[in-house]
Amino acid sequence: MPLAPGTSHTSDFAGRSWSEAWTEGRDTPGDCIPPSMVAPPSPPPPPPDPQFVLRGARSAVHALHFCGGAQGQGHPLLLSGSLHGLVHIWSLQTRRVLATLDGHAGKCVTWLQTLPPGPQLLSQGRDLRMHVWDLAEGRNAIVDSVCLESVGFCRGSVLACGPQRWMLAMPGKGGDEVQILEMPSKTSVCSLKPEAEARPGMPMCLQLWQADSSPLPLLLAGYEDGSVALWDVSARKVCSRVACHEEPVMGLDFDSQKARGVSGSAEKALAVWSLDEQRALQVHGTHQLTNPGVADVRIRPDHRLLATAGWDHRIRVFHWRTMKPLAVLAFHSAAVHCLAFATDGLLAAGSGDQRISVWSLYPRM
Amino acid sequence: MAVFDTPEEAFGVLRPVCVQLTKAQTVENVERLQAQLQAVSDSALQELQQYILFPLRFTLKTPGPKRERLIQSVVECLTFVLSSTCVKEQELLQELFSELSACLYSPTSQKPAAVSEEMKLAVIRGLSTLMHSAYGDIVLAFYEPSILPRLGFAVSLLLGLAEQEKSKQIKTAALKCLQVLLFQCDCQDHPRSLDELEQKQLGDLFASFLPGISTALTRVITGDFKQGHSIVVTSLKIFYETASFVMADEQLRRVSEVQAKPAVEHRVAELMVHREANWVKNTSDKVTVLIKKIIECVSVHPHWKVRLELIELVKALLLKCSQSLVGSAGPLLKALVSLVNDESPEVQAQCNEVLRHFADEKVVVGSRAIADVLSENLHSLTTSLPRLMNSQDDQGRFSTLSLLLGYLKLLGPKVNFVLNSVAHLQRLSKALTQVLELDVADIKIVEERRWNSDHLSASAETLASQPWSRIQRRYFRFFTDERIFLLLRQVCQLLGFYGNLYLLVDHFMELYRESVAYRKQAAMILNELIVGAAGLEVENLHERHIKTSLEDLREIVTSILEEYISQENWYLVTCIEAEEVGEELTVRQSGLQALTSGAHTRQLLSSPAFSQPSPTICSMNSNIWQICIQLEGVGHFARALGTDFRLLLMSALYPVLEKAGDQTLLISQAATGAMMDICHACGYESLQHLINQNSDYLVNGISLNLRHLSLHPHTPKVLEVMLQNSDASLLPLVADVVQDVLATLDQFYDKRATSFVSVLHALLVALAQWFPDADNLGQLQEQSVGEKESHLSRRPAALEKGLENTTTAEDIEQFVLNYLKEKDVADGNVSDFDSEEEEQSDPPRVNEDDTGPDVEPPLPVQIQIAVDVMERCIHLMSDKNLKIRLKELLPQKSPPKSWYGIDPSLEFLCIFPFAFLPSTCHSW
Repeated sequence: MPLAPGTSHTSDFAGRSWSEAWTEGRDTPGDCIPPSMVAPPSPPPPPPDPQFVLRGARSAVHALHFCGGAQGQGHPLLLSGSLHGLVHIWSLQTRRVLATLDGHAGKCVTWLQTLPPGPQLLSQGRDLRMHVWDLAEGRNAIVDSVCLESVGFCRGSVLACGPQRWMLAMPGKGGDEVQILEMPSKTSVCSLKPEAEARPGMPMCLQLWQADSSPLPLLLAGYEDGSVALWDVSARKVCSRVACHEEPVMGLDFDSQKARGVSGSAEKALAVWSLDEQRALQVHGTHQLTNPGVADVRIRPDHRLLATAGWDHRIRVFHWRTMKPLAVLAFHSAAVHCLAFATDGLLAAGSGDQRISVWSLYPRM
Repeated sequence: MAVFDTPEEAFGVLRPVCVQLTKAQTVENVERLQAQLQAVSDSALQELQQYILFPLRFTLKTPGPKRERLIQSVVECLTFVLSSTCVKEQELLQELFSELSACLYSPTSQKPAAVSEEMKLAVIRGLSTLMHSAYGDIVLAFYEPSILPRLGFAVSLLLGLAEQEKSKQIKTAALKCLQVLLFQCDCQDHPRSLDELEQKQLGDLFASFLPGISTALTRVITGDFKQGHSIVVTSLKIFYETASFVMADEQLRRVSEVQAKPAVEHRVAELMVHREANWVKNTSDKVTVLIKKIIECVSVHPHWKVRLELIELVKALLLKCSQSLVGSAGPLLKALVSLVNDESPEVQAQCNEVLRHFADEKVVVGSRAIADVLSENLHSLTTSLPRLMNSQDDQGRFSTLSLLLGYLKLLGPKVNFVLNSVAHLQRLSKALTQVLELDVADIKIVEERRWNSDHLSASAETLASQPWSRIQRRYFRFFTDERIFLLLRQVCQLLGFYGNLYLLVDHFMELYRESVAYRKQAAMILNELIVGAAGLEVENLHERHIKTSLEDLREIVTSILEEYISQENWYLVTCIEAEEVGEELTVRQSGLQALTSGAHTRQLLSSPAFSQPSPTICSMNSNIWQICIQLEGVGHFARALGTDFRLLLMSALYPVLEKAGDQTLLISQAATGAMMDICHACGYESLQHLINQNSDYLVNGISLNLRHLSLHPHTPKVLEVMLQNSDASLLPLVADVVQDVLATLDQFYDKRATSFVSVLHALLVALAQWFPDADNLGQLQEQSVGEKESHLSRRPAALEKGLENTTTAEDIEQFVLNYLKEKDVADGNVSDFDSEEEEQSDPPRVNEDDTGPDVEPPLPVQIQIAVDVMERCIHLMSDKNLKIRLKELLPQKSPPKSWYGIDPSLEFLCIFPFAFLPSTCHSW
């Protein structure tokens, strides 16, 4: 049906064969393309392009978050946080900035998350503040703030506990603790401190989640020493801990359906690990990359694709189940700092070159 | 002359004359009587009416052969009396009527008696006057069944005269008289309208004459064109008035099944007609035949008043007899719609008026019967349309298409009945595409170049000042008449307006994709469909029709637009570009081979249009037209969507702007036109405003396309145009994209340097304009290159400005990016030249010392850009390609403009112009 809406570039891209999307960047030798999948001898297809690029962040982009049109605001939005402390709200319809939020005193915004009740935004900055913004009906005011006690790069994580309640995990004091708060009351639930002999260093990335089988909140944390730990938040103890990397863990994402997660670090490898019935983490395998440094890893909401943000300016896309490399997206001219998937599958990447590229990859979900 | 006011006086005068006449019936006596009558007042005459009439009637009634001259004078005298008096008695009326009619009776033949023309005229006038002089009540009583034979005789007499006489005067008089007899006289004397019963009586009576009247009049109407239009007009009038009176649906509805026993003698009763269903059917069949004949003849009648009357005929018959004459509805509507585009404006206006009236009255939509007839007509028209388009001449095509247009207008929303049939839609589209085929053989299309690279807004101004040139003249293979194209466009617009847009767009998009042969036509049709769907330029006859919703329209437009600007439909070979060919062949070979290779590179685009090895002139022409049509379409879409089109700018603006810079004149014109449309539709003040406000979309397109330069060789041109049309507020965006440009240039030094150099030139010119102080300075400086003395003398003034400008530059330092690395590189490059050009760079060095303290380590963005650009230009200096070097001469002039004055303290920048001079000489 040629008139189906929204079949623009997306369908074009989908129309290409998988092998076409395999294109490697010009100056990087093929990541690990199986021989059978090497492009045919005829002229190589052009490397895939972003669907569009958002310009105007005016400084490096360190945080991205999609905000669907679910709140009745119509068109989906993309939120970006910049090195210079600004949060930009982009309309994906007009591809322009709708509003700019300035609340982090010029310090880098590291994490953005919209909250379940209504159009509220949580922004974490390196000014040791976490702000709650009210974005409803064009407002953009700070309604609440939480003080952070660690100046690290660790991003927070939230888990909805009820219609108006949610749990927030963020780096705590002492350099190695993770603090759990209940919001919006800001009451501290607990502080997760690793055992003295473990010395995992600072937490680098956090993810709160809940198993389908039990309502108990769990926390996955990647640490400075390259290990990933699973915390039982209510029991305040580590269920399992496994060393995945030699270098600090820079990003992790977890697929609770398959009970499998992935983490990236400063080194040249991705680690895939899984969680068994006894809540024990096990490294499944590592996946070597061409260039070192993974700033962020994201699994698409449909659990089919995995995207990694590389310090080598490239975004790599993998088949999540098989970990087959599918594409290397070369567009940025500086390190890619952050990734975000929209619920409809759109991928956004923010980079040090001040641009945000938006990609539509295999959009049939 | 004395006037005799009282009857007594008059009687006294008239009596002897009347007596005399009674005794001796001579012309002289009649004339004497008439002379006397002149002197009698009307009232007196009325009193004496019977008395005076007696001798006259006596003369007429006297048996035996009479001299024609006498009868004529008697009739004339009678007419005079009647014109001044009223007939108050029915018997008198009847008798006079019979006596007058009998004057032209010839016992031997059916035809009117062979008498002189004057005689005939006199009798006709007498009859006419008689009917006028009768009192209203008496007249009605006169039309009773018993009069039928006599009336019938008169009617057939008059018809015979109208048909067979040579004299136009007699014909006209006979027709007028007929009108009087049939209650159709339009003079003031019969103001009374008839009530239902009277109408029915008259209808019953006149029904007997209908066959005779209609056939005779048809013969008159379809007779020689030379007989004069007024006769045809009157005949048409009588025809339709009689038919619409006798066959009026309203009367027929009340006719009972069983004929009432008429209270007349048997002989007369036989003549009576009972208008029951059977009779109606038979009569209608016969009348339909006649109507067809009439329409066939009259619709091409040379006189516009006749055609105008035809419209009245259609109107009267369709409004009053839509049921009884349902068989004629088809031909009648056809006649009407074929006059929609009549050459006479009066006819056109009236036709539209009637169409609108029909629509208002729901004649078509309200009555299933007529709607069916109409769609039946449209069906058969679509069936024969391809054949007609093929075989007819321009005039024939024009009328066929007018007909089509009229049907569409009339059918309105019901047109979907026809469109829903796949076969018919296909036929329609086949006919449209066939006739819209363009003639692409003209070599001029490819030849015409846009040599003067006008500023975009300037060319837009010329376009605006000559609105006629907005529409590019197209040459079609099958017709030359511009009106046909206009009609075709209207047809498409109406289809878009009333038809199911999804269905139509789907169909034509399929056609568009299907084959290159139909692509241009399909695009033209699609463009007009959208214009129509938006309700632009469409005159809506059906008020309740709901237009396509804006959301639907936007969706449809988006999908068409996507198709238009897709790689294989937008980037077509329109010329053989030397640069491209040159890059494919390391060694230049013969022109023919160059051609071939050019085509091969294009084949990578997988455009199905170019499966042939080399683009012929025809195929390039065809491509040019396709692009023009698509550009025009973009403009149409913008107009259709209005400000909603802003959302589509992100995909549409870049391709259009790219075409605005095309070398082919037609394309660049079309693109500029489209830009103007977009500009107006989206509410931008000017093209510059449009470009300026949407540079982010442009930059997006530019930077993405730079990644595939081989597929988008014209990308640099877009940037060029963008730079020419934007201002300093876009500096951050420009800085961003310039990095892309330079990075791409670094990859393509050998191949595409030419186009990049002109971009860089544009960039520097733009920078100079955005920071105008620098520009002034630069111009001074430029002059000074030639004449050193004056240069030195102007120096102080220049310096002051330079200082001023340094502060502006510092204001912009907040935009400064981390370009410092490149500065070092540039420094390194420059140092080589430094030593060579030392003696020439003396004057700037002096300046440098003066303003030294102003220097800040982070460079303003614009200066940094200039530095980066210059760095690249140095590399190009040594290029072997003469063309590039020649182009470079331009940028070499501009650097001084942009930066020499801005920051004279930057030593390496100052050196540049001098570094260039020797190499410039070299290239010459």
